[in-house]
Amino acid sequence: MDTIEALISEDTGSAPALEPLAMVALDAGRMLMESGASANSVDEIVAQVARGLGADRVDLRIGYASLAITIGIGANGITRMREVGHLGVNQRLDQELWHLAERVAQGKLTTAQTRAELSRLAAKTPRHAAWVMALAVGLACAAFGRLLKVDWLGTGPVFLAAAIGQLVRRELLTRHVNVFICASLVSFLASLLGGLGAHWAGSGKIDMAMIASILLLVPGVPSVNALSDILEGHPTLGSARAVTVAVILIFVAAGLWFGQVLLAHLI
Amino acid sequence: MNIDPVFLLHQTLCGALAAAGFGVLFNIGFRSLPWCAASGALALAVRTYCLGLGWNLEAASFAAALTVGAAVQVLRARADISQNALDVVGCIPMVPGSFAAKAILGMFALTSTSTTDASETLITAVQFALRVTFTVGAIGTGLAIPTLLLRVRVTR
Repeated sequence: MDTIEALISEDTGSAPALEPLAMVALDAGRMLMESGASANSVDEIVAQVARGLGADRVDLRIGYASLAITIGIGANGITRMREVGHLGVNQRLDQELWHLAERVAQGKLTTAQTRAELSRLAAKTPRHAAWVMALAVGLACAAFGRLLKVDWLGTGPVFLAAAIGQLVRRELLTRHVNVFICASLVSFLASLLGGLGAHWAGSGKIDMAMIASILLLVPGVPSVNALSDILEGHPTLGSARAVTVAVILIFVAAGLWFGQVLLAHLI
Repeated sequence: MNIDPVFLLHQTLCGALAAAGFGVLFNIGFRSLPWCAASGALALAVRTYCLGLGWNLEAASFAAALTVGAAVQVLRARADISQNALDVVGCIPMVPGSFAAKAILGMFALTSTSTTDASETLITAVQFALRVTFTVGAIGTGLAIPTLLLRVRVTR
């Protein structure tokens, strides 16, 4: 992803404030999209930032892979587009962006200061350690397992399988492995480990333990966002999210299927 | 009505644990995790209670999402966490991931040449797929309604 500075041209022509303003507002929107925000949130924050920096008119088009904005100040106007990267989930960054937008709306920051703040947030917003995430995901999937009526003997293996799956997923995504391939690989590994563990532990719910072990891969936020986007007047983005969710689920199920086939040969 | 209080407590605790765990995965700060747990607990408590009343999964999920969405609207000023994060994380334990996996596995099974009961396999897979669609639809709609109502009230 290009830095925001590289995308702003030196020659700003007849409307000197418009270009950096549009790009800063777009960058705030891009970061929100990549943090898992719904379309309405992106719309709201981008408008808040742009108006706080002096825009009179703001029109935003939100696509799955790009954002386009038209900014107007007086008689001048400009339209710019920005590519959006992988749509992950990062609620702490999302929250920081909301706080930043409030400060911008109150007129406390200039365009340059807002740009610097965005760069700082992108670089400095903390993330939980890998082992903390693995532990939390393991506990969450074990709880899911109990909700799916996995017996106590199968709950421990689900915890371990999901935690290992999360560690492997993080490692694969760090190495920029395709998200769909990653989903299949992790699904295969976690379901196999969950199934084998449940079998060795003497659980009577091996199938459900295998499914509970892969629930870390179910794209819950995008699936809820897909519907809320459609309901809130963004059917194009909502449909794109829904298609992506469906394809991820197919890859997850394929991994689970391979896990089930291999487990049947092993036990 | 036949609701075992121990079962209700079990489901509520599991909902809290699942929501808090996914809160960490979604990079929510430690100070906000109790709010996530409370959101998940509320969702599962309402859903379990409604299922105990004899409602189907979709209706119970809708009622739970609506309750969580409304509660988040009321409490969001107290929790230093975005509304979107809090209500979505709370409803994550209700997303029917296992049904989705079973639906797709059923579709895979249909392509197998050894399938003996193809029509039964197809119907089961379609049933799971429809339940996933309707349940996710119910959750999304339940969460959206309080937000949409508030927006109408504010703009008037």
